[in-house]
Amino acid sequence: MGRSNEEGAMWSIFGYLLSGLVIWGGIGWALDNWLDKNFFLLGGLLLGAGSSLYLTWLRFGRN
Amino acid sequence: MRKFAFAESGEGFVPPSTADFNLPPVFGNNEFTTKPILLVLFSVILISAFFIISSRKALVVPSKLQFAGESVYAFVRNSIGEEIIGREFMRFVPFLFTLFTFIITNNVFGIVPLLQFPAMSHVSFPYVLAIFSFIVFHYVGIKKQGLGKYLKGIAFMPGVPKFVYILLTPIEIATFFLVRPLTLSLRLFANMFAGHLLLLVFILGGEHMLSGGIGLKLIAPFAFAFGIGMTFFEFMVQCLQAYIFTLLTALFIAGALADEH
Repeated sequence: MGRSNEEGAMWSIFGYLLSGLVIWGGIGWALDNWLDKNFFLLGGLLLGAGSSLYLTWLRFGRN
Repeated sequence: MRKFAFAESGEGFVPPSTADFNLPPVFGNNEFTTKPILLVLFSVILISAFFIISSRKALVVPSKLQFAGESVYAFVRNSIGEEIIGREFMRFVPFLFTLFTFIITNNVFGIVPLLQFPAMSHVSFPYVLAIFSFIVFHYVGIKKQGLGKYLKGIAFMPGVPKFVYILLTPIEIATFFLVRPLTLSLRLFANMFAGHLLLLVFILGGEHMLSGGIGLKLIAPFAFAFGIGMTFFEFMVQCLQAYIFTLLTALFIAGALADEH
C-alpha cells in the first residue's frame, strides 16, 4: 500500500461516482422524456450518487 | 503558417482553436503523412533505438546510457508493476513498459523544439491505447477466473442484500466496460490537448503583441516568459499523464487478477 495505490483508489472512486450519475441520471432522464415528467432526472441523479457512494464504501471502506 | 497570415494582414488576434490541431499532410496529399502520424512513427524508432543501444553491451558496471535505460525500466517494473500487480507482475512488465515509454515520448514531443506536437492531443491515439488496455485487463481476468466467474465478480459485489444489486450492478458494469476505458483515454487526450492549446495561446499571443503598438510590445516579453514557464509545467503534466495511464492500466490488471475485488 503505497502512494500509487491511493492514487489508483482515487481514480476508481471517481469512476464509480461518474458511472453512478451517468447510469441512474440517464435512466431518470429517459423516464422523464418518456412519461413527460420532470422529477425522474433529479431522483435518478440522487439515486446514482447515493449508490455510488455506497459502492465506494463497500469496495474501500469496509475493512 | 498562421503567423504569416496575421502578420501580413495586420488583422486582430486569431486565438488558437481546434483547427490548429488538424495539420495538413507533410508529403503531398497523402493523409497518412500528417505530423501526428509521423511523430508517432518517429517515437517508435526513437524508443527502439534508445533501448537497443542502451542495452546492447550490458555491463555489470553500467555506462551512462545503460544506466538511463535501466532506470526507466526499473521505475516501471518496480514502482508500477511490482507494487501494484504483485506476485505475477513480471509478465505484464513488457506491456506496461511499452505503454509508458510510448506515451511519455509522444507527450514530451509536445515541447521538443521543431517537433512541438503531442500526438495524444488527437483523441484517436489515446482511444487505441485504452482499447489495448481494455482488452488486456479483461482477457487477463477471463483467463484467470473463467468468463462466468469473472463477470460475476464484476457485477455482483459479495456481502450485499440481494435487492441492492438492482442499484449497484448497472454501475459496476458501466464502470468496467465504459467509464474505465473512456476516462483512461479522455484524461490523456484532454491534458495533452489543453496543454498544447495553452502554450499556443501564450506564444502566439506574445508574438501578436510584438506586432502591435509600443505598449503591447512592452508586455509581449511577459507573455513569452509565461509561455516558457508553462512549458516546464507542461513537461510535468506530460510525464504525470504517462505515469497515470500506465498506473491505472496496472491497477485494472491487478483488479482482474484478484479473485474478489
